[in-house]
Amino acid sequence: MIYVLTIYTLVAIINLPPLIKNGQKRELFAFIAFFIVAFVLSLLYAMDIEIPSPMEGLKYLIEDFMGLKYPEPK
Amino acid sequence: MKNTAVKIATILLMITLLFGCLDGRELSELEIVVGIGIDSADDPDSIKLTAQVVNVSQLGLSGSGGDPDSKPYWNAATTGTTIFEAIRQITHKTGNRLFVPHCEVVIYSKDVAKQGLYKHLDFFLRAIEMRLTSFILIAEGKAGEVLDAKPQTEELPAVNIYNLVKSYGFTSHLYDVTLKEFSSRLISEATAPVAPLIKVVQEGENKDVQVMGLAVFKEDKMIDELNMDETRGLLWVINEVKSGVLIVPTPEESGVAVFEIETAKGKVKPEITDDGKIIMHIDIKLQANLSEQTTAEKLARPEIFEKLQDNMSEVVVQEIMSAYEKSSKTGSDIFGFGDMIHKKYNKKWHEQLEEDWEEIYKTIEFDIKVDSKITKTNLLKNPVTQKLGG
Amino acid sequence: MNERMNVERGKINVTQLFFCVTGFVEGSVLLVNFAVDMTKSQTWMAVLASIAVAIPVIYSYVALATRFPGLNVIQINDIVYGPILGKLISLYYIFFFALTFSFNNRDIGELYKIFIMPDAPMIFFLAAFAVTCAYAVHKGLEPLARVSHIIVAISFTVMLLIFLLLIDIMDFSNFLPLFDVPLISFIHSVHVITAIPFCESIAFLMIFGSLDKTEKAAKYVIWGLISGGFILLNVAVRNTAVLGNTETIWTSTSFESTRLIDIGTVLTRMDLWVGVIQTILIFFKASLLLYALATSVAQILGLKSYLPILLPLTAIEVILSATVYQSPVDHAMTTQNAGIFYSTPLLYFTPAITLLIAVIRKLPKSKRRKRS
Repeated sequence: MIYVLTIYTLVAIINLPPLIKNGQKRELFAFIAFFIVAFVLSLLYAMDIEIPSPMEGLKYLIEDFMGLKYPEPK
Repeated sequence: MKNTAVKIATILLMITLLFGCLDGRELSELEIVVGIGIDSADDPDSIKLTAQVVNVSQLGLSGSGGDPDSKPYWNAATTGTTIFEAIRQITHKTGNRLFVPHCEVVIYSKDVAKQGLYKHLDFFLRAIEMRLTSFILIAEGKAGEVLDAKPQTEELPAVNIYNLVKSYGFTSHLYDVTLKEFSSRLISEATAPVAPLIKVVQEGENKDVQVMGLAVFKEDKMIDELNMDETRGLLWVINEVKSGVLIVPTPEESGVAVFEIETAKGKVKPEITDDGKIIMHIDIKLQANLSEQTTAEKLARPEIFEKLQDNMSEVVVQEIMSAYEKSSKTGSDIFGFGDMIHKKYNKKWHEQLEEDWEEIYKTIEFDIKVDSKITKTNLLKNPVTQKLGG
Repeated sequence: MNERMNVERGKINVTQLFFCVTGFVEGSVLLVNFAVDMTKSQTWMAVLASIAVAIPVIYSYVALATRFPGLNVIQINDIVYGPILGKLISLYYIFFFALTFSFNNRDIGELYKIFIMPDAPMIFFLAAFAVTCAYAVHKGLEPLARVSHIIVAISFTVMLLIFLLLIDIMDFSNFLPLFDVPLISFIHSVHVITAIPFCESIAFLMIFGSLDKTEKAAKYVIWGLISGGFILLNVAVRNTAVLGNTETIWTSTSFESTRLIDIGTVLTRMDLWVGVIQTILIFFKASLLLYALATSVAQILGLKSYLPILLPLTAIEVILSATVYQSPVDHAMTTQNAGIFYSTPLLYFTPAITLLIAVIRKLPKSKRRKRS
């Protein structure tokens, strides 16, 4: 947990100043957006909270809803 | 500020790499297992597992410097309902997990084999540390005793047994069955698994182990045994005879000529005739040299060689047929004929033969051709005898 | 329509492209194991059939890229489909890149967890591997392309060596009987092998834009496909010949067959080599996938460079790899079913349809007219 916090702080420190200095607004915006998503996900993972996997949704969609499934091999 | 951050990040990264050390096992912590024996325990559901652990400090010392009574190994035994449970239980006695990658032999006792080996085989195939090239053996009596018989020329009994099986080629009276070979036969529905037999022979003070013959299984239960000649009959057909001794009657029937097999090759071709008969064409080519004769006949003459070769072929055919007859009594396809037919006649196999293969196996006819050649007679041209005339 | 290039000015040439494609296809060398469940001793046939099926599909990728030289697929989608639909289709591509990287990352994580260091937590491998790929992508496409020569050379040598060392344990009668497997299983197997090693190279649609000359690209790409496929064939043949009917019970057939090398009691436990080679190959493949992901996300957001978002994307990928499957068994079962169906429209049809529409709308020509 602390690990996660440390790493993310470090990454922010290394990456943010150049972006702000160069005034790359779009890049800064994108960086912060993904950064926050990654941070939240990592925190959830570190705290053992279950994160739903997209594969579960896809599996349901494809196998149950659309019925696309190969027969079990012998 | 940025530089400090980079430095801290690098240090953290290096600390992360230490995660790999979680799996490190120091040499002094290892309990090196060289052989495992499985017996049935008093409780009908349990098995007694004996693991032969190397006592590294005593290795190399026995006989010369160290205490003559100390052994360079010790057999740790525990009971459990399954193999993995028993192996973990051994930590009650040893204090460390067993280190299995050097295990060379796995020995099952006959009672366990007769009850079925499936239960006791899964662990050895699934465990990452086990070797697939370890040998399987079936012990007459208790496997634990077999592992205890201190060999004369080798320090560790398990290694001794491994060497015994590995050198099967000298007599071709047994066969080296690895875990992989055994599972391959087990998976195949037609072929019967086999495993070499081992027993403890007490001669006076010494207990020695002897490996010869094969145990035959139906699925995973042991049902039959093959003696030395029958085993060699099997090996002729599956092309695994390396060397051995053939005792052949001489033309004048006054004694025997003893041959040492130099090379042997066996080829099998299955054939299904139009009226549904199965004929196995077996083609054996063998080269041998005359190593001993017990008569005063002069055998080193071409026409006598002809007759000897014929007699030799007879002996080979007899061995093969005896193997077939023994195995057909129980319908166990030890030769793998079923699989051969499957590979050649795919459709017919699935439609007609697969179901009743056990019964159909008993009706196979043979067409055996043995081509023997005597290559040399070693140092003697004529036997040592008073009768020098001819 | 501003085409802002996201990659560094560096270009790669067609020879490097050939090695890149070969290395990429080889990255799935342990994947053949997934197909063995279905086609058992006929897996080699499935590999050959997959190569045949994949060639026209891959050709459609290259043809599309050749038609729009210097552009990557996100840009192409915008041009062909218009700004809104183009972005939607590009999202499908991005989704695919993201999931595929996580599958590959998980592949290598599971390999280490099962075989090499069972006691370490898997997230450690996932993170370490992903960060290494991120480092490679950070350096850019050119270094990766330069490294591809060595990677292919090493992997070819080791694979052939292992094959030779196993020759005396091989039993070629294990390939008989031919045609024992039902047709549907065969089709299943071909679907898996085509989708995973071969068609995942749709990621190259982000890389074709960096070619210095796109004219001869098709030939090199197809040859890369075939040589990568040759290694897959090598693996399929070797595993069937060595293991015979025990092929289907192992978690990883390549590991087991390499374990059987036992020459002179010295050359044993060679399965380590399989682990090493697989690591190198998957690293290469995953780096290319991560590159595709980073550049496509950057392109769709209109960023000047993909570098800033690289690390956060990698972190998201790590969490994704950690949560996407419950266990290796789940991984195997899903890959054989839903895992290949979700990408089927994308891999097989989308580039071809894009190409078709581009031809109908005579698109690059109007672009050229716009310029002059």
